[in-house]
Amino acid sequence: MNLQQVAQPRPFANGFGRRREMGSRQDNKLQSGKSNPSRLPNAGGGYESSSRDRLVYLTTCFIGLPVEVQVKNGSIISGIFHATNADKDFGIVLKMARLTKDGPVRGQKAISDSVSKAPSKILIIPAKELVQVIAKDVSVTRDGFSNELQQDKLQDIMLDSIISQSRHIEMERELERWVPDEDIPQCPELEKTFDGPWKRGWDQFEINKKLFGVNSTFDEEIYTTKLDRGPQTRELEKEALRLAREIEGEETHDLHLAEERGLHLHANFDIDEEARFSSVLRRVDISEDNEDGMLDSHNDETFGGSSGLAIGRHFADLTTGKSSDVAQVSSSSSSVDEAQSSQSGTGLDLYHSGSHDHARHLALDSQSRVQENQFSEQQVGNNHAKEFVEKQTLAEEAQTSKSEDLQSLLDAKKDGSDKGGLSPNATAYAPSHGSSKSQENMGSPAEVSEGPVSARTMGETQSVNSRGRPSSSTSSASDCVGATPASIGPGLSPSSSVGSLSSEKSTLNPHAKEFKLNPNAKSFIPSQTPIGHSFSGHQPVIFNPQAAPIQSPQTYFHPNGPQYGQQMFFGHPRQVLYMPGYPPEMPYKGRDF
Amino acid sequence: MNDSFTIIIIYVDDILITAQEGSDSGPRRNIRLLKANYIKEFSYLGQAEDPLDPKKCCIDLNALQAREEVAIRQAEADAERIGVGVTVEAQNIFDALSKTLPVRWDKTAIVVMNEVRVSSPYLPESVSGGTPAANERVKKVLEFERKRLQARVAGQ
Repeated sequence: MNLQQVAQPRPFANGFGRRREMGSRQDNKLQSGKSNPSRLPNAGGGYESSSRDRLVYLTTCFIGLPVEVQVKNGSIISGIFHATNADKDFGIVLKMARLTKDGPVRGQKAISDSVSKAPSKILIIPAKELVQVIAKDVSVTRDGFSNELQQDKLQDIMLDSIISQSRHIEMERELERWVPDEDIPQCPELEKTFDGPWKRGWDQFEINKKLFGVNSTFDEEIYTTKLDRGPQTRELEKEALRLAREIEGEETHDLHLAEERGLHLHANFDIDEEARFSSVLRRVDISEDNEDGMLDSHNDETFGGSSGLAIGRHFADLTTGKSSDVAQVSSSSSSVDEAQSSQSGTGLDLYHSGSHDHARHLALDSQSRVQENQFSEQQVGNNHAKEFVEKQTLAEEAQTSKSEDLQSLLDAKKDGSDKGGLSPNATAYAPSHGSSKSQENMGSPAEVSEGPVSARTMGETQSVNSRGRPSSSTSSASDCVGATPASIGPGLSPSSSVGSLSSEKSTLNPHAKEFKLNPNAKSFIPSQTPIGHSFSGHQPVIFNPQAAPIQSPQTYFHPNGPQYGQQMFFGHPRQVLYMPGYPPEMPYKGRDF
Repeated sequence: MNDSFTIIIIYVDDILITAQEGSDSGPRRNIRLLKANYIKEFSYLGQAEDPLDPKKCCIDLNALQAREEVAIRQAEADAERIGVGVTVEAQNIFDALSKTLPVRWDKTAIVVMNEVRVSSPYLPESVSGGTPAANERVKKVLEFERKRLQARVAGQ
């Protein structure tokens, strides 16, 4: 390597013939891996003892690094190291140098008043001026180099601190621990604010109005089912409580439900976080992972026709938001023949309601919402007819209703046809209309969407059973004329189950989704009598618009429930669809929206 | 000045002392090059290991030159932000404004968003130019930043 060719304009070029690594630019790349001393022949003058190579080596390492140079007058100059003259005396060349600390000037104050200057592009500091050079974080060895390379690569990524360039601006402050001011009165601890159960003393609207003059237009009933508090309220409440307890105490295979109820999650480590908390249905297995297929199903308008399970609707109130439990609606697996299963899943979110209160509330006011329209408005998935599930259990004895599905009432989104597939065991009702989608068999969790879920739920409810909800309908039942969404089906038997004790909705929902009649749906003619009476309060849903309502429209949540239930056991191929919420005085109009 | 420090000598000749601070023999160290004639006194502390392992020394000149390029570019960019002939206070204000507004120097005036000028003494009254909205905004930011700076200085 010819050093002379290093075209240093300044006298810093290395005049020696021998190879030296210098801070100055060289054309040839030095081979790495060779240690310096060994490369340097001992030609030349006295300085070039091999140990000086160390100096040269080190200064070469400085290239490109910011260094601080102290000069004779005490000033410190910072700049990027560029070159050095290491042959005789030691001078230095810096690029972009600026005065960091002015030697002659003493004290902080002076500095703040001094005026800044532009950095010099190139600054030569002759040897005479130089006192010392300080370079920080120099990578000296090979390890250092490799580290540095990596670091440089990282620098391409714009780090936040680089972007904000906070180093230019702020100094670190001394941090002090916060202590509350002395004069502020001791506030009650925040954590304890809501310890008391249900502090009714606090009215946020009132406070807001007082403090800010904001008049609230909040009306709870926009968001939830209106509770009819009539003379039977206490009884209904009791019943609802009972149902709620029962539901919550049920054994469940559903992971989410189990967790909600505080049941011990069997230490099955296969169940990872995803299985536990995700809402994605991964497997069609009924037993575990019940992801909320229900949720999915809800979300997909898979329900196809209106869910017959109007019941689900009111459960919408319940909605815990987790559809998973819908599955609970055990659709008796068998029954799902026509599979209109799709819908079922969703409705059955019986177990969802997690909290006790919630369940109770649900029970109380859910019943009424059978209308399809209501369903459509409900959140998908959430509106599961929990109650419905209960009712399903009743259906155990029910004949297989093939077509029945436990439609989750919830998803009313479907227009038109409901699928009311009721599982024979389960509650059944939900007239299923010939909706296309259904063909799924409830029982088999074949489909990812509701189907499996519902199937599952069906199964579950089975265990619960008992409420003897009139089970679903027979095949005939399942065809419902596009009927209504309302068909809550037997599950909703007021008595039994689930909180359906809520007061029925007295008015039709003006915002309800339009019901579209499915001309292909088979007509359903529920059988008369026993059912009719037993369902006190159940609004029969008539799928066939021409058919007359079988049951007297009564409040859904009639205390006669239990009676009804029993009767339902016997009743079989009847598909009873209730429209909870139909006011007694309102005759069924056959859905001619 | 009187500084004293402990160093491990890497190389000495009659002109310069090449040494590293501290005994760290990791990959990165602080190096000092001292002119021998400025040493007032020294005392021998002991014999340490050779800090520079000849076998491990190698140089990649291209990388070094690249590094220098980068550093120069960076320094030039930084230099843009520094006003020439302005006080430290002015520079602080500039830095504070630059956190949220695009600013540049124009001699000793700070130009914000290419419209609004803030000249010495960099008070809210010194703000001029630009649309009324921009002007207002700059005034507000300036006031706020000034307050912050004062608070910080007071706290220091």
